[in-house]
Amino acid sequence: MRILILFFALLLFGGTISAQSTGLEPGNKSPQIKLPNTKGDTVALSSLKGKLVLIDFWGTWCAPCIAEQAELAKLYNKYKQSTFTNGKGFGIYGVSLDAKKSNWENFIFTNKINWIQVSDLKFWRSPVAKTYNIQALPFNILIDGNGIILAKNLHGTDLEKGIASYLRKLMTEN
Amino acid sequence: MKTKILIFLFFTIATSVFATNEFSSQGQSDPWTQQQLLAPADLAKVLNDPKAPKPLVYSIGMQAIIKGSVDIGPTMRPENLNTLKEKLNKLPKNTQIVVYCGCCPFSRCPNIRPAMELLKNMQFTNYKLLNLPQNVKVDWIDKDYPMNE
Repeated sequence: MRILILFFALLLFGGTISAQSTGLEPGNKSPQIKLPNTKGDTVALSSLKGKLVLIDFWGTWCAPCIAEQAELAKLYNKYKQSTFTNGKGFGIYGVSLDAKKSNWENFIFTNKINWIQVSDLKFWRSPVAKTYNIQALPFNILIDGNGIILAKNLHGTDLEKGIASYLRKLMTEN
Repeated sequence: MKTKILIFLFFTIATSVFATNEFSSQGQSDPWTQQQLLAPADLAKVLNDPKAPKPLVYSIGMQAIIKGSVDIGPTMRPENLNTLKEKLNKLPKNTQIVVYCGCCPFSRCPNIRPAMELLKNMQFTNYKLLNLPQNVKVDWIDKDYPMNE
C-alpha cells in the first residue's frame, strides 16, 4: 500500500520536481557576477567571499520580488553580523533585471536598501539571466563563504530557515 | 486494501480535474480569446521572412526586445496606455497588431490586460497578444527568435 501511495505521489509531483531542477545545483560553484551598482562602480560577487551570501535576482517590475524586499531587509539586519558554519557574516547581492535606471535607483533609495545592488539594466536580456538559467522572478541562490551553492529559490519561511540552518552553534563549537 | 487504493485514486483524479477547471475559469475573465493568442514561433517566422508582411508589434512592458517592435512602456501606467491610445487613433481598425509584455507569467502580468482591453474597446478587429505564458526570456530569447539590436 505504501509503495502504491508513493508511486501515485511521484506521478503527481514528479512533473513539478523535474520542471524546477534546471540551472545550477547545490554543491556547484556559483558563477562570478561583475556588474555596476547605482553609482556605476563594478561590484563583484566575489567581493563578499567569506560570508554566507544570498544572491537575490529581482526587478522593480516584479510584484512578488518587491513584496519580498522587506523580508530581506529584516533578515539582512538580523544576520549580517552572525557567524555561520561556512561563513562569517551574512550578505545579500541583489541583481536587478530592471530596464530603467530611474525605477531601480528610486526603489533602492525610497526603501533604504543597504545591501549590495547591481544591474546591467538589460531586463531579461541580461547575460546573468542566461548564466544562472533564471526561468522566473523572484529567484535566489544561497552560497557559502567559498561561493559554493547551498540552496536555491528559498522564499517565505523557508528562506529564514535556510539561513538559520547554517548558523554556527556555539555549544557544539566548544 | 483495494477500496483504499480506489479512494486515493478518486481524490488524485478529482484534484487534478479541479485544478484544470480552476485554471480555465481564470482564463475566461481575461480580455482575450484563445484565438487572439499568437504563438511566438509564428511571429518569429514572419519576422524572419523578408517577404512576409509584418504586423505592428508593440512592446507594452519594460523593454522592446522583439525585432522591429515599438516601445510603448508598461501599460499599467495611464500615461503609457495613453501613448498606445494615441498611436492606435491614427490606425485603421483592421490593422494587424501584436502586443507583448513578457515580464511575468500571464496570471500576474500588470500590463497585458489594460492594453488588450483598450484594443477591444477601440474596436480593432485584427489584434493579437503574443503568447508568452512564462516570460519573454523563456518563451522568446531562449529560443533564439529575432531581437532588436
